[in-house]
This record gives sequence, C-alpha cells and structure tokens, in this order.
Amino acid sequence: MGRVRRAWRAVDPAGLGRIKPEIAAIHPRRVELGLIAMVGLVFVFALASLSGTSTLPSTLGPFLAWMLVLLVVAHVVTRRFAPAADPVLLPMALFLNGIGYVMIARLTGDVDGGSDLAGLQAIWTAVGIAAFTMTLVFVPRTRMLTRYRYLLGLVGVSLLVLPLVPGLGRSINGARIWASVGPVNFQPGEFAKIALAAFFAAYLVDSRELLRTRIELRDLAPILLAWGVSLAIMTFEKDLGSSLLFFALFVVVLWIASERAVFLAIGSALFAGGALMAWSTFAHVQQRVDIWLDPWADPRGAGFQIVEASFALADGGLTGTGLGRGEPGRVPFAESDFIFAAIGEELGLAGSVAVLMSFLVLIGSGLRIALRARGGFEKLFAVGLTTLLGVQAFVIMGGVLRVVPLTGITLPFVSYGGSSLVSNYVLLALLMRMSHEQRTVAPGDRP
Amino acid sequence: MNKRIGRLGLVFGVLYLILFAQLNRVQFFGAERLRENPINTRGLIREFGQERGPIMAADAVVVARSIPSSGSFDNIREYPEGELFAHVVGYQSLNVGATGLERQYNDELAGSSLDQQVRSIGDLFRHRDTTATLNLTIRADVQRVARDALGEQRGSVVALDPRTGAVLALWTWPTFDPNLLAAADGASANQAYEDLLADPANPLLAKSFRELFFPGSTFKLVTATAALTTGRVTATSPVMPDSDSYQPIPAGRPIANFAGATCGGNLVEILTVSCNTAFAEIGAEWVGPDSMIATAERYGFNDVPPIDLPAAAESRFPTDYGDRLADVQFYRAETVEEGEEGVEETDPPELPNGDVGVYEDTARLSQASIGQNDVAASPLQMAMVAGAIANDGLLMSPYVVSSIAAADGEIYSSADPEIWRVVSSRAIAQTMRNAMINVATSGTARGLAIPGLVVGGKTGTAQLGTSPPNSHAWIVGFAGPPGGAAEVAVAVIVEAQDGASEQTGGRVAAPIARAVLEAVMGVS
Repeated sequence: MGRVRRAWRAVDPAGLGRIKPEIAAIHPRRVELGLIAMVGLVFVFALASLSGTSTLPSTLGPFLAWMLVLLVVAHVVTRRFAPAADPVLLPMALFLNGIGYVMIARLTGDVDGGSDLAGLQAIWTAVGIAAFTMTLVFVPRTRMLTRYRYLLGLVGVSLLVLPLVPGLGRSINGARIWASVGPVNFQPGEFAKIALAAFFAAYLVDSRELLRTRIELRDLAPILLAWGVSLAIMTFEKDLGSSLLFFALFVVVLWIASERAVFLAIGSALFAGGALMAWSTFAHVQQRVDIWLDPWADPRGAGFQIVEASFALADGGLTGTGLGRGEPGRVPFAESDFIFAAIGEELGLAGSVAVLMSFLVLIGSGLRIALRARGGFEKLFAVGLTTLLGVQAFVIMGGVLRVVPLTGITLPFVSYGGSSLVSNYVLLALLMRMSHEQRTVAPGDRP
Repeated sequence: MNKRIGRLGLVFGVLYLILFAQLNRVQFFGAERLRENPINTRGLIREFGQERGPIMAADAVVVARSIPSSGSFDNIREYPEGELFAHVVGYQSLNVGATGLERQYNDELAGSSLDQQVRSIGDLFRHRDTTATLNLTIRADVQRVARDALGEQRGSVVALDPRTGAVLALWTWPTFDPNLLAAADGASANQAYEDLLADPANPLLAKSFRELFFPGSTFKLVTATAALTTGRVTATSPVMPDSDSYQPIPAGRPIANFAGATCGGNLVEILTVSCNTAFAEIGAEWVGPDSMIATAERYGFNDVPPIDLPAAAESRFPTDYGDRLADVQFYRAETVEEGEEGVEETDPPELPNGDVGVYEDTARLSQASIGQNDVAASPLQMAMVAGAIANDGLLMSPYVVSSIAAADGEIYSSADPEIWRVVSSRAIAQTMRNAMINVATSGTARGLAIPGLVVGGKTGTAQLGTSPPNSHAWIVGFAGPPGGAAEVAVAVIVEAQDGASEQTGGRVAAPIARAVLEAVMGVS
C-alpha cells in the first residue's frame, strides 16, 4: 500500500515538478502533518482551558471545529500544490494564528466592540487559508511574477496611496491607512508590501550588475523613490510602522542585490535624515519618541498604553496568569497591536518567548529558502518577504516592549485583522512555492 | 548574495535577541518592581474584584457576599444586612482599604491562605474554588434586638457566651452602611468615606470594642473580686460603717455617694446599693494597689483582649501609686492621735486589713476602686468581667468567628474555646455571682430581672460633668436557666446621658440589656 502511494505521488499530479529523491525520503508533508497535529492539540488545549473561565463566547464550540478544519484544509492544499515545500513554515504560521485566535476569543467581551471578534477572526482565517490556496494555485512558478514586474510595482504604489483617495480612504484611530470598497474595509498597505517586494526583486535582478560596479544617480533612482514613498506614507497617512517597514524592505533588498555595504550606509543615512525630519516636523512623531524615551512622564495619559502593557507583562511573570485569568483588556488595542502584551500576561514569559521563537523560526526558514533559491529573483523575493515578516514582527513587539518607539502595526498571523491575516498567508504561500521549487526537479529540468 | 543573506540572518538574530532580553527584563527580572509600582493598580483591582467567600451570622443570615459584576470589577462585595454588622464585618473598599473581619480574615475569604490553596496533592494540578466561608458566632436576631433596643442613642451593646467566649452581639450606634464604602464607583465611595470621617459622632469607629469609657460603678465588680481574693474580706465581713463621705488617704477630695446618700454594710450589701464610700475604702485600705492591679489585670485590663477582630482597645487600670508611706494601721493610728485632741493614746487597733500600705497616690486608688480616675474600659471588657464571674472565675478568650468552611462546605478550621485568664477561685466567683444576682433582685439592677431566669447585674453611672449633669449609663449582667450555668453575659453603655444619679444606669441601660438577655435565652 505504502509503495503504491509513494509511486502515485512520484508521478507529479499537479505538474509542479517531481520531489527530489533525497527530500522525498523524509516526506516533508508527513513532518508537516505531525507538526500541524501538535498545533491542533495546543489549540484545543488552550481553548479547553479557557472553558474553565467565564470569558468564553458561547459559540466557541463551532469555532473550534471550524479552526481545526482549516488546519486540515491548509495541509491538504500544500499536499496537492506544494508537496515538496519546507514542512515548518505552515505549522509555525498556523501556531501563531491559533494562539492569536485563542487570545482574541478570550478577549471577546473584554475589549470595546469585541463581542464578535472571535467570529470575525474565524472568517478572516478562512479567507486567509483561501488566499493561501489561491496563491499556490495561481502562482505555480514564482518566476512568472517577473513578467508582471511593472504592473506589480504600479499596483503596489496604487495600493499604498489608495487610502489618500477621497471617498475611498478612511482614517481610523488617527492613521489614514484604510480603504473602503462598498462594505469592506481593508488596509491596502498590507497587500502593497508583497507587490512591492516582487517588483523590487524583479527590478533589482535586472540592474544589480550595474549597481555592483558604479553608483550613479540614475541607479539610485529606485531607492530615492522608495524613500520618497515612505516619507509620503509617513506624512499623509501618519503610518510610521508601514513607512519603516517599506524602507527596511527596500534597503535590505538593495543591499543584498548590490552586495555593496555603501547602499546600506546610504539607506541608513537617508532613513536617519527622514526620521529626523519627521521628528522635527510632526508632533505625533515627537510624542511617540517622547513616550518611548520616558513613558513614566505621563503614565495616565500619553504613556498609558506602554505603561499598562509593561504592567500586563510583569503580571504575567514566568508562566502567566493563565488564560482568562488576567486583565489584558486594560491595555488599549489588546486584540490587535498589543496582542503580544496580552499573550505575555496570560501565558507568561513562556508564551511570549514561544511567539518570539516562532517568528525566528519563520525568519530562519525564509532565509534558508533565499539561500537555496536557484534564481536571482527568487533569492531577492524570498529575502524581501522574509524581511517584511521579520521586521514587522520586530517593530510591533519591540514597540510593545519599548525597545523601539511604538508604531501601530499588526503582529503577523497573531493580531486581529483581516487584511493582515490574508496578506501574510499570501506571503507564506509565496515562500512555500519557492521552497517547493527548489526541492523539486522541475518538469523542464533534466533529471 | 548568500554571504549577505547570512549577515541578514545574523542581524535578525541580534534584533530578536534584544527582544528576548527585554522580555526577560520586563517579565522576570524587573517584574517585581513593575508590580509594586504605585501607578500599577492591577493587584489592587484584582484583589478588590476577586470573588470572596461569604460571611454568615450564627443563625445562617448572610451578612457579606460577593456578587458577580459586569462592571470594572469581576465581583462586587455586598452587605445584605447593611449597617447591622458594619463594625464587625467591616468593609472591603478599593479606595480606603479594608477593616473588621474583611481585613482580619482577608486571606481566607480571598482563598489565598496556604491551607485553602493546597488541601491535597491533587489541588496542585486543578483549579478549585478556594474561597472560604466565615461563620460568625454573632446571631443576627440578637444583633437586631440590640440595635432596636438601643435605638438612636449613642452607645454599645456587647453580649457573649461566658462559657466559651463566643460573642453573640456586638453593636454600636451610630454606625454606617458598608455598602457605601464597598461601592464600585470610587468617587461615591470616597465621598461616603469623607462624610463619615467628618461626622463628629465617629460612626466608623466600633466603640463596642475599640473605644474606652469610664466604667463607673460596674468596676466595683473588679474591686469586690479583689477584696475577696485578699482573704481579708468575705461576703459578710467586714461590715463597713454607714457613711456619706470617705476621706481618701493620705489626702484628697472626699468621695461622696450619689445624691449624698448614706450607706454601708457587708460586701454584698454595699454592692447591692453600689456604695461609693465603702468601695473607695475597701479598695484603698483593705485591698491596696498590688492586689487591685493584679485582679484588674486578671480580668483583662492593661492588655488587648484576644478577640479575632483588628484593633481592639486595651482597657486601662492605673498601675503607679508612688512610694509607700506607711501601713494603713500605722497611718490610721497616727491620724487618730493627731486629729482628735484629748483622745487617750492607745496602741494601734488590730485591723484585719493587715499590711496594706498607704502610698503617695492611694487617694487615686480609692477613686479607681469605684471606676473613676484613670480607669477606662471598653464595653467588650466589661462584658468579659460579667462573663468571668458567671463562668466560675474563668475568663474565656472572646471570638466572633466560630468556623471557617471551604467552598465545598467542609469545615477546616473551627474555634476552640480557650481560657484566657483564671480570674479568681470558683468560690470567689460564686460569691460574686450571688452578689450580682442580689443586685438584680433587690439592688440597682432590678430592671434586669427576668422571671423564670437567674439574672445577675451591676449598674454604673460614670459621671462626665456636673453642669449640666451628664454621664455614661452602664449595665453589665448575665442570665441563665435556674440551676444551670449562665448562658449569656452582657454589657451595655449608653453614652452621655442627662443626669448623674446612680439610677441612671439602671433606668437607661437595663431595659436594653434585658432585651438582649431575653433574645439570647429565647424568652420574651
């Protein structure tokens, strides 16, 4: 029976290439299934422990089943469309998604307007898995993206400026990063980052030979453009987190592509200049920096969120207060930007370090894909996507922990929010597609 | 490019290491400092909002309970009986802290005492309701009778079971509604607290056990016990000569009886009519400071009663009477010699009061012997005096919590009646008991008598001033079935009453005490 099944897989049902024999020997999907089963167990156990408290929404039973089904669906999809992909990526993302979901379900009722957060997040998770599936289906070869490089660049920039379009853009909580199309609100920036990462990887693959040998203004155009776009976002959308994220993306990819530290220096100098300018121009930037330097100056006012977050984390201690036994609702935006503080409070240092480590594992897997990538585009694209994920997680966790000034941005896979969840599943699917490619013998390759 | 990608990995490693270090700093190494930060109200609010066990009166009336709340706190503390138990149970307030049993038994009520946390090894692995139920010795019905009988007069009522020390009633008026202070609305709770603090009658203070008053003539019970303990005085001898004034020695303002009355007789007789002159002389000249101090302290004076309520007052009996001047015998003989010209010089008479000394401040002792001067007692202390007499000279430790039950109903701690002090021999206590019965039958405490029961008592009128005359009206007493031990001892004080006659205590306080005795004994 086992022989037959293996033979069936070896004939490459999806036309995605045959799995390399040395990888097929330890089938990655079997490893993934084991890891996903563990994630499912953790998820069920966490929700079960919540049932001991009164903070549980009554409809959680169906949600639990729903989420478990989504775990299985995600696994089946990779079996079908990216069977050779790295087996760690998906379980890590699902683990982060699951721990975030448990926290969001637990916060239902504890945060303002949180009555149906659990239900909405369950729907968004399903949409995320659907986007994950569609990405794997419609991007059978990563390299095909290079054909649409300028379209992707245009789409990326358009999405970025979309919130500024009158009638479409919406300002929520002081940041104009939302767009409304009909009844749907979304953050275009979350999707722009992926499009721009693709555009940038494709563009720099072409021009990297030039950049390696000379520095001319013409060659610097893209980095200056990136810098300008970042500043524009910071200026008009008041979204410090996103501008930092884009800037990091462009500088890192440029540095890797050019292999010249001078671009890193130029990039850092430009960033420092931009940051200084923003600090001296915008009151809200100054306030963020002041809070970062000393939140205790106004602990009940400006520094409230940061101070409360540190109290929440301190309350958690090593092992946490236990799910449902803390007061994470005291920290504003505990379900989105500050979900890391909620996890640290109720699951303790153990839980917060688990989240930290999961991101580190994702970053490591992403960079490994970049290292093993056969083509320059794949290499740069994988670096870009990994940088987006790693920097975004660092910026918000560092903001909550007061390592860097706080910038409102979601914690990938963990925070409540549809745009963030869906875009990060797309990002994950692209990484897995690239991983699959390098671990198979492509149909056109010679055996 | 791979070299650069490796470096990028290194950069991410460093960045996340910084996050890891900071997490350890916030959640572990610096967590204690953050938890204790004065701005951090988490611990306070958690404690305030956490579920606490109920407090139940002896007759199963709920006097405090936690009710789940959807507001800022998970639970709100409610006191269904309002002011009735305010001074005993106290309150748990976010803004002004906790008092009474809420404070004394905080760990048990909140379920944080180790006993409750780990009752078996299995408890380490599962969550269990660890809050405890406090069962009181105080009966809500008796407490209500005390409240209704005292009415809106400033005063206190204390009733206890002399056989065990179990407190049956502990009431003071004016009082307050603890629900106001336990309110979730911090501003209104603060306002209520400010108002109560500003009230000159000090309704927050549980005067029944936390305030001291001149005990007046009720203190003669102590003096009489001291006299019997010396062995120089019995129920029938000496017979004090009738007198309307006593001249303290070595010098001082003469002590008179109420309304200038003339009285005297043996110990039982002078107790029955509450004869100031006779007791002043007995205390100063037959007992002396050492025995008076010793007896008063055996009754509990100059010590905090071992009650399971916070901040009980220490009743006072003065202990310093200066240097010894001479024997009473010698002093009296000298006085006779010098004072009355022409009297034939004789040997000093052989007085039975032996070697009682005269001290610089013996005059003060004669005042203290009738409950004046620096003597001060809480109503609880005076109930303990009556209780010790009714209990064969054994003074039991008073207590208000009879048992602590776990959430599943299992009683894991119950009060063990303890003898606090042996005040006197059984014989002396019997003599005192009979004398008190006599006071209730034919003396100043006749208002206390209840048909069908054995009742003893002693009144007191502690004068506060003469213009206008006003005084604290006191009564202490006990009651029991005929032929059996007394089952209840009581002390009542009605503060600052008009008038200053010895009848005041009997007239004002006796009906209140009698109502309480009847309620406890189940007669009406």
